[in-house]
Amino acid sequence: MGKMTQFMGWIDDRFPATKVWNEHLAQYYAPKNFNFWYFFGSLALLVLVNQILTGIWLTMNYNPSGEGAYASVEFIMRDVEWGWLLRYMHSTGASAFFLVVYLHMFRALIYGSFRKPRELVWIFGMIIFVLLMAEGFMGYLLPWGNMSYWGAQVIINLFSSVPYVGEDLAVWIRGDFIISGATLNRFFALHVVALPMALLLMIFLHIVALHKVGSNNPDGIDIKKHKDENGIPLDGIPFHPYYTVKDIVGVGVFLLIFCWVIFFAPDMGGFFLEPPNFTPADPLKTPEHIAPVWYFTPYYSILKAVPSQGLGVLAMGASLVVLFFLPWLDRSPVLSMKYKSPIFKVALALFVVSFFILGYLGMLAPNDMRTLVARICTIYYFAFFLLMPWWSQWGTTKPVPERVTH
Amino acid sequence: MKNLLKTLLVTTVSISFSALSAGGGSYLPNDEMPSYSGHKLTTSMQNGMQVYMNNCMGCHSLKFQRYNRAAKDLEIPESLMIENLMFTGEKIGDLMTNNMPIEAAEKWFGTAPPDLSLIARSRKPQWLYNYLRAFYSDEGRPYGMNNTVFKDVGMPHSLESLQGVQDKTEQVKSLENEIAYAQGDIVSARAKLDSGGKKGELNDVIAKAEKLIHEKEAELVTLSAEGKYFTIVKAGELSPEEYDLAMADLVNFLDYVGEPIKRERKRLGVYVLLFILFFTGMAYWLKKEYWKDIH
Repeated sequence: MGKMTQFMGWIDDRFPATKVWNEHLAQYYAPKNFNFWYFFGSLALLVLVNQILTGIWLTMNYNPSGEGAYASVEFIMRDVEWGWLLRYMHSTGASAFFLVVYLHMFRALIYGSFRKPRELVWIFGMIIFVLLMAEGFMGYLLPWGNMSYWGAQVIINLFSSVPYVGEDLAVWIRGDFIISGATLNRFFALHVVALPMALLLMIFLHIVALHKVGSNNPDGIDIKKHKDENGIPLDGIPFHPYYTVKDIVGVGVFLLIFCWVIFFAPDMGGFFLEPPNFTPADPLKTPEHIAPVWYFTPYYSILKAVPSQGLGVLAMGASLVVLFFLPWLDRSPVLSMKYKSPIFKVALALFVVSFFILGYLGMLAPNDMRTLVARICTIYYFAFFLLMPWWSQWGTTKPVPERVTH
Repeated sequence: MKNLLKTLLVTTVSISFSALSAGGGSYLPNDEMPSYSGHKLTTSMQNGMQVYMNNCMGCHSLKFQRYNRAAKDLEIPESLMIENLMFTGEKIGDLMTNNMPIEAAEKWFGTAPPDLSLIARSRKPQWLYNYLRAFYSDEGRPYGMNNTVFKDVGMPHSLESLQGVQDKTEQVKSLENEIAYAQGDIVSARAKLDSGGKKGELNDVIAKAEKLIHEKEAELVTLSAEGKYFTIVKAGELSPEEYDLAMADLVNFLDYVGEPIKRERKRLGVYVLLFILFFTGMAYWLKKEYWKDIH
């Protein structure tokens, strides 16, 4: 027996290291037909690690106070060795996180990955998404630029439209009557401690639930139906090494784009870092046009599309809540878009287009025409989900194969 | 599937293009700034710093920038900088602050002169370039100067000794008059509409006026592009061409101060991308090796 085997034996008698390794990597059988859309789960994990590591180092020099925050960010950008890189990795990482998570969710939508038995995988994922939105929103206040300030001001004011307790609620969230150092301090605490812990817990549960039921695949069929004499799915391959080496290729391509942004366009033309945020927070100077960062704009559009602010807040909340119910809304006999009726493809394409339009309109100042278009898209957004139990059963589906195709 | 992806891609791309083109305010003149690179850019930034220290620093601090960092990045020997660009006995490692009394400044100009460390990031360099060249004589303003890029700005034309005084050309003035009259026509037509005037007739008047405004604005853009927006009425130390170059230098310096690491990060970025390209190639090769036996 080699020294290494002996050592692992000693460990395994006390901690299930080999067992966990096998169950989740070396003997975790994933369908062999994963395609492009399956890169984004591992990429989300990569961006998470990026955010946590760069975040820790940024915290070492960041000063969470109304007097010092803005200057400390510039201190990081100029006087801290490689501080600029840490900051750009973190700010670009925030946008990248939403990008890969949106694509990851879209994958679930086209291949029915949220359907039975993966309902909890989806629900945990949705909780992660909502936590991520809170994380992004609070992180955006920390540079204490004028857009940070007014963006937070606008969003927190939304809570004051809640009947009866609205004003008190907004004060409770801010910790002050206006956005101030008190707000900044609590957002900092939530951004660097509370929310990351909640995120990590939910990501852990997301993966545990996934590994209990196994991954879906582009054909939306169960690979456990056909096993060999050892009980190994015929269409499954061990996650490690096959998907670990494949995901590394995905990481490479992702890093090419990610690093291109960091080194050549960290502002991304005002989409990732907005120009007004290069002036310090000023309660007396409202920026000409306040818009949230791109990843919030579809929901912001829904909010603005509703004539009354109170109902708008409700609609914005509902646009997220409705996603939680997706596993029970889709009643199609098949999971994957590949075998669904053309009706599904058309409905989905329209949904994607209206989601993009909502996102685009959310960046602009409203006018009559834009509000009208936003309303149509909002109605379609809700119709797509709320009427899904009916329309998902329409049309004829294609026969689903017994074994995966690739 | 392929078609769906294609549709998505086309929609996304066209939306993002229109999103990008939606940016950029409208101001005149809106001339392109000369663009430099390499050593020429460094020289331009050096000149820009000289212009800044002599004309701007008294009011506008650069409180996040250190003298020695600028010396290093702009390749100015520290001794030369201490002798020629630092006037009030600061140390070479100091931040570039000034002693502008904020309360008094608010009284003098209506608002305290802002720190300009990040001005090139909150305003675009091209905006700055045009702003610095858009002061014109306007007796209605406290310091006798207004600005077409930043209307009614509180700042006096502190570069007047360099540029001299300019005024809008007669063509520009008459076009602006015509636009003002047309706008007046629209306002009065709308007022008549509200008080129950003839709909068809008044709407015609409004449409005509709007068309006229549109045409005249287009003419203003053309005039500006031809360099006929302003004319010098009192010469300064520099010729208009020299002044434009000096302002480009000044903006290049401010662009540097906005993000001192900018040139270095672009230089580094090339190597980073080359490494990742190599890494991705190796990863792809490894993946192909492993996946040979998967059918």
